[in-house]
Amino acid sequence: MTLSNSNSIFVENLEKKFGDFTAVNKITFSVKKGEIFGFLGANGSGKSTTIRMLCGIITPTSGTGSVAGHDIVTEPEEIKHSIGYMSQKFSLYEDLTPYENLRFYLGVYSVPPSEWEERIDWVLNITRLREEKNRLTKELPPGRPQRLPLGCSLLHKPDVLFLDEPTSGVDPITRQHFWNFIQQLAREGITVFVTTHYMDEARFCQRIVMINEGSIVASGSPAEIIAAACPGKPQADLNDAFITLMTRTDN
Amino acid sequence: MNPTRLKALIRKEIYHLVRDYRSLYLAFAIPLILIILFGYALSLDVDNVETVVVDYDKSELSRDFISKLDASPYFHVAGNLVRTKEAIDYLDRDTAAVAIIIPPDFMKNIQADRDAPLQILIEGSDPNFAGIIRGYLTAFTEQYNQKLLLSFLNRQGMEKISPPVDGRIRIWFNEDLESRNFIIPGIIAIIIMIVGALLTSLIIAREYENGTMETIKSLPVKAGELLLGKAFPYFFIGLTDVLIAMLLGQLLFGVVMKGNFFLMIIATSLYLAVALSLGLFISTVTKSQLIANQVAILTTYLPSVLLSNFVFPIVNMPKILQYITYIVPARYYIDILGGIYLRNTGFSHLWPSMAVLMFIFTLLTSLNYLLLKKEGL
Amino acid sequence: MNWLRIKELVRKEFIQLFRDKRNRVTLFVAPFIQMLVFGYVVNYDIRNINVALVDHSYTYESRKLVDTFEGSNIFHITHYATNDDQMEELLLRGKVDMGIKIGPDFAGTIRKGQTASIQIIADGSMSNMASMRMAYTASVIEKFNLDTIRELYPQQMSYGKIDARIRTWYNPNLDSQYFFVPGIVAFLIMLISLLLTSIAIIREKEAGTMEQLIVTPLKASELIIGKTIPYIIISLAQLSAIIVVAIYWFEIPLKGSIILLFFAACLFLLSTLGVGLFISTISATQQQAMMTTFFFIMPFFMLSGFVFPIANMPTFVQWLTYLNPLRYFLVIIRGIFLKGVALEVLWPQFLALAILGGLVFSGAILRFKKRLD
Repeated sequence: MTLSNSNSIFVENLEKKFGDFTAVNKITFSVKKGEIFGFLGANGSGKSTTIRMLCGIITPTSGTGSVAGHDIVTEPEEIKHSIGYMSQKFSLYEDLTPYENLRFYLGVYSVPPSEWEERIDWVLNITRLREEKNRLTKELPPGRPQRLPLGCSLLHKPDVLFLDEPTSGVDPITRQHFWNFIQQLAREGITVFVTTHYMDEARFCQRIVMINEGSIVASGSPAEIIAAACPGKPQADLNDAFITLMTRTDN
Repeated sequence: MNPTRLKALIRKEIYHLVRDYRSLYLAFAIPLILIILFGYALSLDVDNVETVVVDYDKSELSRDFISKLDASPYFHVAGNLVRTKEAIDYLDRDTAAVAIIIPPDFMKNIQADRDAPLQILIEGSDPNFAGIIRGYLTAFTEQYNQKLLLSFLNRQGMEKISPPVDGRIRIWFNEDLESRNFIIPGIIAIIIMIVGALLTSLIIAREYENGTMETIKSLPVKAGELLLGKAFPYFFIGLTDVLIAMLLGQLLFGVVMKGNFFLMIIATSLYLAVALSLGLFISTVTKSQLIANQVAILTTYLPSVLLSNFVFPIVNMPKILQYITYIVPARYYIDILGGIYLRNTGFSHLWPSMAVLMFIFTLLTSLNYLLLKKEGL
Repeated sequence: MNWLRIKELVRKEFIQLFRDKRNRVTLFVAPFIQMLVFGYVVNYDIRNINVALVDHSYTYESRKLVDTFEGSNIFHITHYATNDDQMEELLLRGKVDMGIKIGPDFAGTIRKGQTASIQIIADGSMSNMASMRMAYTASVIEKFNLDTIRELYPQQMSYGKIDARIRTWYNPNLDSQYFFVPGIVAFLIMLISLLLTSIAIIREKEAGTMEQLIVTPLKASELIIGKTIPYIIISLAQLSAIIVVAIYWFEIPLKGSIILLFFAACLFLLSTLGVGLFISTISATQQQAMMTTFFFIMPFFMLSGFVFPIANMPTFVQWLTYLNPLRYFLVIIRGIFLKGVALEVLWPQFLALAILGGLVFSGAILRFKKRLD
């Protein structure tokens, strides 16, 4: 394994095929510890497939990789102790209350019960769901339930946090809150791997990889990507770079 | 009713079904398995009952008794044993269902005009079979006794005496007394309930669970269109199932419909409509697949097996259950099936049952329609 | 194996199951209703034979024949028809089970010492019932003949006749409920445990919560155990409830050991839960799971000896029944209830259940991958 100590995610020639369809085409990249890493691409570009391979939800067709020091092909179960994952779709129990959901996941992550009180308190604070902790999740006011999965994914204090389009369908104010919080997590040393197709959000990322039709088309800091994609256009932003890169490969 | 919208809804439901192709081919495989099992493997009839005999008498009379028994179609004498204990062993191991023990002085007793005891043991754990066997044996001994009486009277110097009454029993409707002749048509009713009501009980609940009901409510779709669109594909699956069942029943097992084919199709469509409306109604009311599932089994599948005269005769039930059977749609359909398959009766005899089915269908559909209307469709 | 995880999973499962009030009702009321209905429905005891009579003779002799029929307490003349058409119509409409027609020369023929024929038409639709009715009819006619001969020849009648002493073993009164009620207990347990487990896992898939579970350190074996324990508990609770109904309502004697019965139920649940898990691994939607469940339940039910005796099946099908866990559990539950036998007799069935359950359950575990592809 070619893992340097500062890399918390490392992927080499990672490939996933569904039948004849290549969803992810031999991609290689690495993410440093404590970095906010943006994984950008249009819908269906292979973002979610990559994240799901990294989390051990699906098995790669070929290639190697490691997350938090564990191999993604041979040690998917070890990875799971050190990662938090928030899926694109709401994936908590709607017929349980926020409190019951949190308690369940604390149990599943085998956090010692003596710490439960404190952790639940902490999560209810950051998600601002204290008032609603004993209401059924499906009956919470609009917008609230979406805060819960992030809290759940942080319950066991993971080293790496995977967020699959965390802000889709969320209002701008909540999004601002969310990114402030993510930056705070990164400062505390948590690696954040986030997929999005909102270019204005990508500027919060220290490094970005852009993926199109399963292949990496650009990587670097937001400024580097803009400069490389739109040379000689000082007014260009990530949006312009994104559109340029995505259309270029179409030709 | 807008044909374009209806077509779109039907197409959507067909997509659900085709994408979920295992449900679809199970919807065809289950009827196949049922028909083959019932036609081939399962029977409630009793013939050639395995019988063992312990003949301690070894006389002309005892041998005559045994050979007459063996000659009847109902019994097959599988072995002459030496000791009673062996016979009991046969019963315990379930290799014989009847043991007949003829004591030593059997013939001597009869000749001396005394009653001759005869011990008969029946493996009685299955009451249906034991009951039939006991009936056969009682009738057989009584017939034999009558012969003994006549020969006694003859020996007393009477003229040739004949028995006063001879009951000429004719069997109607199911002349060969084959249980498959009534079970296979009954299976059709069960299949329709499984495909029509069990499957559909989930499909409106699913829209609620997935939240897609909200979307449907926001569309200009009318309650009637939604119901029809949901029911349509299942109606055709159900009808195809019935045709397969009828065909297999006839080709493989010779269960031939005596009545009119078109009447059968009309009655079947009616019953299918009842099943669909029942399933959709459950789905609308429960809004949860898990509960719809439980409720559907309880109110559609089980009653149509248990309370419909399918294999469990209604006349044998306690009065209260007999009254309950009047609200079980399968009861009416099984009655119609009996008319078409076995009794060869026509519309003139079957219309009351069909009218009841029509009534149930109208009631359920209107209720469901009103419910969906109230929900804002 | 981490028991904390399993405990929280079981806890969550119970909360979800009982949060919906309607579920509480269906889980506990449904088995009661099914038990009560089933217990009364599965009954082949002939109590009533409805007869339509056409009596063209209308004499002392014909009256006596009719009285002999009615004296049996089984035959009931419910319709007096005046002609054949009426009688046939009653049969066609299914109003009567049997039509009896006595001709005009009935009495005359008997008085002459000859044999008078009566015509009997039996509705054979339900062939097993018809066979029993025919046997009863034959008995009644023989009784009438004996009585009539005695009357016709008033003299010493102490002839020797065969006195058949018929005993039915294991179920002396041929009470249908004795036979079927223990079987119903077995069937209901199977239905509930199979359906609930298969749906328990599918629900997580359908709701998308499975994806979240997969990224946790929860092991496949822990997930399976956590998902089955609630249904083992519920099934055993339901088993206790329906056993109470069987004993106190239907008054079926429990001759054997109840502990042994529960032990057998646990072995049996191993198979049904295994099949339930297996179904959940191959199904994506609840509709699929339900159809697949029925695909399994129907043959289990029919090839178990519950209603249709295994001895009547073709040899090949009889071989198939050895793969059916319900077959063994039925023998055990009937053995314990009715015969009061224990392991020394039932050990082959226990062994078969253990082997079958072990195989099915471990097969389901192997097949169950904690991945989504």
